[in-house]
Amino acid sequence: MKEINELNFPDGLRYTDDHEWAKSDGDKVKIGITDYAQDQLGDIVFVELPELGETFAKGEEFGTVESVKAVSEIYMPVSGEVVSINEELADAPEQVNEDPYGRGWMIEIISDDSAEMDSLKSKADYLGMLRGL
Amino acid sequence: MKQEIRKTLLYDWHVEQGANMANFGGYEMPLWYPSGVRNEHLAVLTNAGMFDTSHMAMVRITGPDAYDLLQLCFTKDLNACLGINKKIALKNNRCVYGAFLNEQGEVIDDAIVYQVEKGHYLSVVNAGMGGEIARHLAAHKRGRNVEITDLTDKVGKLDIQGPLSAKILMKVLADPGKVFEKMPYFSFKGHFDPSCPSANAVCLTDGTPILLSRTGYTGEFGFEIFIAPEHFVRLWKMIFNAGKEYGLISCGLAARDSLRGGAVLPLSHQDIGHWPFINNPWPFALPYNEDQTDFTKSFIGDEALRNIVDFEFTYAFAGHDLRKVSAEDPAIVLNAEAKEIGTVLTCVTDMGIGRHKDRIYSVASPDKPKDFKPKGLCCGFVKVTSMLSFGEVVELRDKRRKVKVAIVEDIRPDRTARVPIKNMI
Repeated sequence: MKEINELNFPDGLRYTDDHEWAKSDGDKVKIGITDYAQDQLGDIVFVELPELGETFAKGEEFGTVESVKAVSEIYMPVSGEVVSINEELADAPEQVNEDPYGRGWMIEIISDDSAEMDSLKSKADYLGMLRGL
Repeated sequence: MKQEIRKTLLYDWHVEQGANMANFGGYEMPLWYPSGVRNEHLAVLTNAGMFDTSHMAMVRITGPDAYDLLQLCFTKDLNACLGINKKIALKNNRCVYGAFLNEQGEVIDDAIVYQVEKGHYLSVVNAGMGGEIARHLAAHKRGRNVEITDLTDKVGKLDIQGPLSAKILMKVLADPGKVFEKMPYFSFKGHFDPSCPSANAVCLTDGTPILLSRTGYTGEFGFEIFIAPEHFVRLWKMIFNAGKEYGLISCGLAARDSLRGGAVLPLSHQDIGHWPFINNPWPFALPYNEDQTDFTKSFIGDEALRNIVDFEFTYAFAGHDLRKVSAEDPAIVLNAEAKEIGTVLTCVTDMGIGRHKDRIYSVASPDKPKDFKPKGLCCGFVKVTSMLSFGEVVELRDKRRKVKVAIVEDIRPDRTARVPIKNMI
């Protein structure tokens, strides 16, 4: 298991208490799980993602990541409609372990309410939470 | 009362390697190392892996009536447990798998019993169970002339498992040719206690005596090694370094769990436990007679097993892809008529197997399809209230998903545990 200071948390992303990340790009938001989450889960063997066009509220479950250890839900950091999913994860779920913020991204949504992003944790707040765990 | 978390002698080594640690059986143990559990699982199928199993406990049973006490408390019939027809009595340097039951026929723990010599037995039990099994034996000792010693934390234990295990051990053993001569599955040689007459049968190149047992809990070819604690970390590092050229890696409990699941081996207190030890995939652990109508001996729990009214059945299953359900949820089992018939005991992914046409292949199958790259299959055990037949499909359901699986007799094919040692060196 990595120490917190060995984990990578890019600046400019927002983070949730459930260890998802969200990155806004105009009215679109890209979503995945954090380096901490993938390190805790271990080898990810399967990622279950929603269909294009599905809408979810903030905090709603939109998929699962299955590691050797367990099946874990992933929750929407902000509400919106799914406009893109990372198809590569069907054949290469290990990309979530290898590159959680890059090739391991999960879905992209059109956000309903851009103010919701501001309610998420900054890198500093997320790190603070992890240190308190 | 807060349980004190114990550490094995390798704790610092595991942490240095960056292992993901967790509490198991009261010990802080590695779940996996940074290369990941898939690598670890596959290494044991194709090369070799080593496991710190020194959290497991050992009980020594000695004295003129030791055999008699074990005949009473252990499920295997020690008078008839070896040979093709299971008619030969346990002998020196052989060990057998069975369980200790209570009067209700329920499992206290499963165990391997080793006969060092007449009147000297070792029983290896699960983490934290040394005291309980020692007390159980002592409670049934009555007038017998037996000494029972709980050796918990007094013996170092590691497992090396996988087809290249013997080749690796050849580099660290003194006189390996002699050691590996006539060493079938479920036999052992040597002793970790230098004062034991058989101790010099297996020594490391530096002269340290070990007990080398051709057993393990992965279903693959390999060994369990017992050694005095003061030599344990050195032995671990010796084997780890010797194995590098053979692709040996250290493996955690997660790989051990997925490997044993695919090999249809039960985890004590999860797949066997406080319910009668019968109608499960492990009838070989009970002393059945030839036509399976009765037992060949009396033992603690036998009456209860003979007189069961509410039958439950434990079966192995294999899924059609790698998706699991969470057995902790708990997950339920539904039959073809969508009637709830039981619960899921274990659900893991064996990452070395996959389906092709109508059967399961392993990465180690000699006849596997060309370019076979399995993603793994979910597998494990269910306990149900109705009898099922092999091939029957049931549905497992947790709060999140439904998975259709087949009841099976066996899961991972082409396991190497029983391959003759001469083919492996």
